[in-house]
Amino acid sequence: MTEFVERPADAGVRHSLEYWNQEFQRIHSPILRYSFSVVSVAIALGVGLAFQYYQFRDVQLPVFTVAIALTTWYAGAVPAALAVLLASASFDYFFTQPLYSFYVYTNELPYYLIFVVWAAIVASFSAVRRRTEANLRRARDDLEVEVEERRHREHEIRKLNQQLGKRAAELEVINTELEAFSYSVSHDLRAPLRHIVGYSELLQRQASSLLDEKSQRFMRTILEAAKKMGNLIDDLLAFSRIGRAETNKAEVDLAHLVQEVVAEIARDTKQRDIVWQIGPLPVCQGDYSMLRLVVVNLVSNAVKFTSMRKPAEIEIGSVSHNKEEVEVFVRDNGAGFDMQYENKLFGVFQRLHLPEEFEGTGIGLATVQRIIHRHGGKVRGEGAVDQGATFYFSLPKAQDGIERIVNAP
Amino acid sequence: MTTLARILLVEDDPNDVELTLTALADHNLANEVVVARDGQQALDYLYRRREFATRSTDNPAVMLLDLKLPKVSGLEVLTQIKSDERLKMIPIVVLTSSHEEKDMMRSYALGVNAYVVKPVDFHEFVNAVKELGVFWAVINEPPPGSVKK
Repeated sequence: MTEFVERPADAGVRHSLEYWNQEFQRIHSPILRYSFSVVSVAIALGVGLAFQYYQFRDVQLPVFTVAIALTTWYAGAVPAALAVLLASASFDYFFTQPLYSFYVYTNELPYYLIFVVWAAIVASFSAVRRRTEANLRRARDDLEVEVEERRHREHEIRKLNQQLGKRAAELEVINTELEAFSYSVSHDLRAPLRHIVGYSELLQRQASSLLDEKSQRFMRTILEAAKKMGNLIDDLLAFSRIGRAETNKAEVDLAHLVQEVVAEIARDTKQRDIVWQIGPLPVCQGDYSMLRLVVVNLVSNAVKFTSMRKPAEIEIGSVSHNKEEVEVFVRDNGAGFDMQYENKLFGVFQRLHLPEEFEGTGIGLATVQRIIHRHGGKVRGEGAVDQGATFYFSLPKAQDGIERIVNAP
Repeated sequence: MTTLARILLVEDDPNDVELTLTALADHNLANEVVVARDGQQALDYLYRRREFATRSTDNPAVMLLDLKLPKVSGLEVLTQIKSDERLKMIPIVVLTSSHEEKDMMRSYALGVNAYVVKPVDFHEFVNAVKELGVFWAVINEPPPGSVKK
């Protein structure tokens, strides 16, 4: 028998079922079952004989049916059949004419027939009941297994959840450490730099008349190096802030954004000969100030790396590959790059050109990549040495993005 | 420059103290600067305790406050001053290396009058300190009870 596990919701039902099984369940051993059958008929016979002794008539048959019913109930169908057989025989032998003989008169045959049919009906009811009970038990066992499995899964989920919570807490600690790190970079690393620059300036001021040309150049180099390091630290901090800052996503009209950025950069590069070409740009989902930083970085790069071109050509446009995503590109006819170094394009402090050729800290494209990744998009670059470069970034479109055409400023 | 108010400079780094004083001196603003080297000393000055027990009762016209200080931090000094009826009117300028938005937000929430990040470039630094000195010690009309020569 299945072990029952106490559970508050259905404990009462289960308990009574168990009680039923223990108290009223048919006897399991076949010998006992048949013995039960024989004994109950024998008792019925005894009772019947006692009634006969005291001159009670026609009560023997009901007594035998009670014995049959009890046998069917407790011992099952086959012992019940045996009981019917024994009861019929006993009745015939002890209580019907001729007495003490198994001979049956023809006119009493229907009487026996009805008795046997009745007993058969009782037995079949018992069999049906048993089958139903067996089915119920099987269903209950299946349920039990399922409940067990579910409990197991629940346990698993709880365990995973706990692990996840622990991991989140760990990450939180790491993040706090990182924040403390960037804070101390921000504060402690800049202070000595400021002192190097400050005292060098003071020295230059105080002793410039005493220093020869070479020493003056050394001083200038110290100052420039320190200032460059200051810029590197500032850029690195800005870069790490992008990773931590929260994004406020809204609909961003890229056409408007690009127009604004280009107008600003064009104002600063009036002396240059730049041909701007701006194609249709969509409205997309994103953080305005972060996306602006992306466009500023890409457009300034295009301006920087076309410094030797007359005219420089810079094209900004978009390609729509599917309904969800749009790819924006910035193309120039500048210095370009060798595609074999493509994997280094978006690395922090990675530069593909000498500092004398083009200035910069090498953090611009890393910033671009970080922002686009945070928006769920991708970045890539195409180019060839001296044949210009094209940088692409993809963004999810706004739900009902309207494409608009913007004219070059 | 006929009138010059007293500046309280709270700065732990001796180099920064020297550079700031040099910048102020470049513009003749250094003669009335009191330097406190940590948050505790700054509070001692304001409350006229220990070595400052005998000073006059006037408040400084402006306080240039670094955030990262030994013992009592700049933000703690700020909290203390702004919760004191007698001191809360003193104009306070945070002068720090920290670009951190968190520091800035907290400082403004505590009621600072200005937040200045020390520039790495010395010329810019001198310029910033000069502008601060000129504005707060000369142009600005300090609250009543401040030192004014």
